[in-house]
Amino acid sequence: MIDPPTESTEAQPGEVGLVQWKDFHWENDFVCESGDTIKGFTLRYETYGRLNPEKDNAVLVCHALSGDHHCAGIHSLKDRKQGWWNNLIGPGKALDTNKYFVICSNCLGGCQGSTGPKSLNPATGRSYNLDFPLVSIRDMVQAQYRLLTRGLGLPGLYAVIGGSMGGMQVLQWGIEYPDFVQKLVPMATTARQNAQAIAFNEVGRLAIIQDPAWQEGDYEEGRGPNVGLAVARMMAHITYLSDAGLEKKFGRGRVEGDAARSQFDAEFQVESYLRYQGQSFINRFDANSYLYLTKALDRFDLYGESGRLEDQLERVRSRTLVVGFQSDWLFPPGQNRSIVHALLRCGKDATYAELGLTLGHDSFLVHAPDLYTIVRNFLAS
Amino acid sequence: MQRHKIKRQTDFQIISGWISEGQRVLDIGCGRGVLLEHLMRSLRVRGLGVDTDLDKVQSCVKRAVPVYHGDADSLLREFPDRYFDWIILSRMVQELTHPGELIRQSLRVSANVAVGFVNQGYWLNRWSTLLTGSRPTNEVFPLSWEDGHPYNPVTIEGFRAFAGRNGIEVANAVFLKGNWRDSTGFLPNLTAGYAIFHLRGGSS
Repeated sequence: MIDPPTESTEAQPGEVGLVQWKDFHWENDFVCESGDTIKGFTLRYETYGRLNPEKDNAVLVCHALSGDHHCAGIHSLKDRKQGWWNNLIGPGKALDTNKYFVICSNCLGGCQGSTGPKSLNPATGRSYNLDFPLVSIRDMVQAQYRLLTRGLGLPGLYAVIGGSMGGMQVLQWGIEYPDFVQKLVPMATTARQNAQAIAFNEVGRLAIIQDPAWQEGDYEEGRGPNVGLAVARMMAHITYLSDAGLEKKFGRGRVEGDAARSQFDAEFQVESYLRYQGQSFINRFDANSYLYLTKALDRFDLYGESGRLEDQLERVRSRTLVVGFQSDWLFPPGQNRSIVHALLRCGKDATYAELGLTLGHDSFLVHAPDLYTIVRNFLAS
Repeated sequence: MQRHKIKRQTDFQIISGWISEGQRVLDIGCGRGVLLEHLMRSLRVRGLGVDTDLDKVQSCVKRAVPVYHGDADSLLREFPDRYFDWIILSRMVQELTHPGELIRQSLRVSANVAVGFVNQGYWLNRWSTLLTGSRPTNEVFPLSWEDGHPYNPVTIEGFRAFAGRNGIEVANAVFLKGNWRDSTGFLPNLTAGYAIFHLRGGSS
């Protein structure tokens, strides 16, 4: 996921403004899809807007691989950046916080406050690291279900929306809790990754694993495989963009002055941009978490053993809007279309829209009026 | 009421009369979803639209009409035989690159296909072409040649011949005069401004 623009280019209908995260603690055992058990977990989350008396206006936002629970507003007046989907969420915006009660939680296995490999293992008093069970997209959804039902007392969700890994969770929501969710809005996503997407994840993982500081995952906090993690992020970041997007932003532009002290310092702007992306990522992301979450992405497969997507999607009862992006070559339009084809073959109420944004996989995060219109209308209809 | 709206209504009324309650209907080239919205409300059909124009797709979404933004040919390939009860091809076969192939695919996927088109054989359309030498432009086909929209002048006789060559069963046909309201049976290829064919899909 690319970093959101510092200032939104929207004509601003309104902002959610200052927000605070909260923590939900699940004290009981949680059995993962893998069969392994963790002794409880924490999910960090934020909410915007108000739950109505009928409790039927709740919308869950699911974040992508490197995203978190902070999807709108700011935590302090000093914040330079707003939450990652601030241009979609707010009073009067497409996901209108005057109408909807919006919830977003950091996923299980993450590292932004929710329980993940970095968290303390109550059995040992040390970080789980590689003792953390392999989490799946389904585990993330089941953990969120506990937050929504037990933590927030919600009887159901009006909608679940998310892109990329968030889109996988949206689909899983529709399958796992068909009567809990009225509308699904997955975008820039896939029912299973193709070989290319798995290949990119594997290069990222190897960059981390082969960094000597990784130490079989047993690094101390702050002394992890920063080089490997930065390289993984740099490469993944390219897959979130597009040829046209990079060309427009950087072309062959060079860095200012003679900053390059040696032959292989960043010479072109795109190089320095990627280095910056890699560096800023190591300050906010845990390398083991990156390994776990990319594995969850790779293993996600709604086609299952039968190879028929319908076997899973048959369970869906929500109205679904799938949005694909023409320039997305990580989870290309065809993979988004396949989800709709299968839903339609099952006789489900499904809509597909394909947007001509040029910025690649992360198009759903940039200024996208067509996306706002379709989300707004789909939620209102 | 604008003339083209009256025309649209007649078209819709005839097609609506053929469709039964609760049937599965695919409208190819659904535009803003007006027909499907009507069918979904009045007959509780399970509707789906297809259109290549995002603006029209947005209108369908606003109407709560399920819609597929994309190419109809490739969408049809995704469905098993006789999946739909009805496929509607209303005023769009003229503008396709391969209309025959789309109709054949539709007959595979659906038990019934409704094809409505402006009859180029209508005497006024012949006269217009005779006078100007160019294709007619009117409220149904407002674009001139330089806009590059495909335009296949199709006639009632030409359509019948196509059905015959392909062994397609014509279950019903309605021919409307130039006003698109009153039906005509006399020399339809000459006197009908608009034709709607009900084709029977492949064997069950």
